[in-house]
Amino acid sequence: MQLTVEKVTLSFGGVKALSEVSLEVAKGELVSVIGPNGAGKTSLLNCISGFYHPSSGRIAFEGHDLTHASPHQVTQYGIARAFQNIELFTGMSVLENLLMARHTFGRYNLLDNLLIYGRAMRVGVENRRFCEEIIDFMELEPYRKTLVGNLPYGVRKRVEVARALALSPKLLLLDEPMAGMTLEEKEDMVRFILDIRAERGTTIILIEHDLGVVMDISDRVYVLDFGQVIASGLPEEVSRNPRVQEAYVGVDHAA
Amino acid sequence: MRNPWAQTGNYRTSYEQDTTIFANYREIVSVGLLLVALCILPMFLERSQVLVLNFILIYAIAVLGLNITTGYAGLISVGQAAFMGVGAYTVALSAPHLPFWLTIPLGGLTAAILGFIVGIPSLRVKHLYLALATLAFQEIFVWVVGRSPALAQGAAIPVEMRNFLGLEIGFRNHNYFWYYIILFVLVLMVIAWRNLLRGKYGRALIAVRDNDRAADAMGMDPGRTKLFAFALGALYGGVAGGLLAYMQRAVVVEEFTLGRSVALLAMAIVGGLGTVVGSLLGPAFIEFLRLYMERLSEWMKSNAFIQSITPAGVDVASALLPLSFGLVIVLFLIFEPRGLYNWWRLLRSYFRTWPFRY
Repeated sequence: MQLTVEKVTLSFGGVKALSEVSLEVAKGELVSVIGPNGAGKTSLLNCISGFYHPSSGRIAFEGHDLTHASPHQVTQYGIARAFQNIELFTGMSVLENLLMARHTFGRYNLLDNLLIYGRAMRVGVENRRFCEEIIDFMELEPYRKTLVGNLPYGVRKRVEVARALALSPKLLLLDEPMAGMTLEEKEDMVRFILDIRAERGTTIILIEHDLGVVMDISDRVYVLDFGQVIASGLPEEVSRNPRVQEAYVGVDHAA
Repeated sequence: MRNPWAQTGNYRTSYEQDTTIFANYREIVSVGLLLVALCILPMFLERSQVLVLNFILIYAIAVLGLNITTGYAGLISVGQAAFMGVGAYTVALSAPHLPFWLTIPLGGLTAAILGFIVGIPSLRVKHLYLALATLAFQEIFVWVVGRSPALAQGAAIPVEMRNFLGLEIGFRNHNYFWYYIILFVLVLMVIAWRNLLRGKYGRALIAVRDNDRAADAMGMDPGRTKLFAFALGALYGGVAGGLLAYMQRAVVVEEFTLGRSVALLAMAIVGGLGTVVGSLLGPAFIEFLRLYMERLSEWMKSNAFIQSITPAGVDVASALLPLSFGLVIVLFLIFEPRGLYNWWRLLRSYFRTWPFRY
């Protein structure tokens, strides 16, 4: 297993955002996490990416212990994340945003950066080439030099995913990449996600509310409700599960 | 083949070209001309005028540093004068034993180490609270110097340098000699400053300023980046302080008080935060303002009519300097928050297309 989440519990005071959540993802898999609002999906992602630290339990990725790792360490292990509430550098262009993601790629020291610049230039050009490939891949060419703050919502979401991709991740965490998009934009985004997996072999964990999309593209699905995994398995199994139906549409008390 | 002198658009065809500092030959030539002009300028000036120029260039170095900490990384620092002081006192203590080309970098390094320590609160507190932490450092610095016998309790410590490579530096050529040294250091510091932004170290600063959550997710350590910003900003301050010590032939604590820190911040704001041009225009503007306000208040004191209309016991003339100073900062913040740099930009784009409107 590439990523294992073992009995992770996360509590804020008396509130248990996650209780004993376990999850396993194999290399190259596309796993979706679904659940009603407030079920703890984003909290789970925050635990994996190091923004929250679980009160108990263990998270491991390719032999690295992520339980107490900070976000920048997690990123260096090869996990990238696209945020739900777009967290781009709004004062910068799309290209600059992607270049930010290449921060840890290509080593040069401060002196190279400040005075000599030759080595920094070579690394910079290499990173630029990589970012341009991502821009082509995500079809962001027309927006390359546009400030992110001036872009429409759907494109910003795409930049968010592109920036995560620029980190050359082995595991990509996508937090509602299709929320609030039109049907056409959603179709584009699904196409990108499938392409990422097919061309780069990236493992993907997807949080999404659109059950149609989730059932269509996921290898496996985990369902969270009130911080607990209530079901997991193949999409068809999960959608037939009575507890999942209960969580989503409620139970008929008259019966 | 495009005309390399023209500036009608971006026709760059390689990634290397896209990271160059100068867009075309015209910019390289104009910067070169500016440097030549700065080199021959002292020949037309008197000693006292060169002194003013020296102060402006020294403050420009300190303001460049402030532009790293405050302009790029967004960490408000009101302790830049104290960092200058650290550099100056390091120079004062080491000058009898070491040549100046070692003492000045040493002053910068000492300031950088202290900047690193002062930056530690930035790991926890932000914005105004962080400004208060730097304010505390500023006050502690003055307090420590004022009570330290080794530093003459803040009184003047002489910094003597009588000759350099056989060149006698005396009363007549002192200001001129240091003008060229300061200019050389400034050029070096500007190159470093300008390169910073092109590489990952500088970009990390901006990332942390804009969105430190996202910066963290990009693999940058926000804490380390903030400490780096403080250390590098302080290094610039320390170097400026070291130059100041040599130029004034002495170190006095009055040069490095809170008032000077605020003045440096004002220079950065008036010039335009985060720009090289602003870092030069800001100090020049504030220094000339100070000069002319001092002259004006001299004149007011000697003018019988003005003395007759001001109320007895109220010293309007002395109040003129702080008054104009505060007024300028407020006016700039309201009407031109992008500072003099913006005027420079507008002026440049006007002449680029002259005689056409656009």
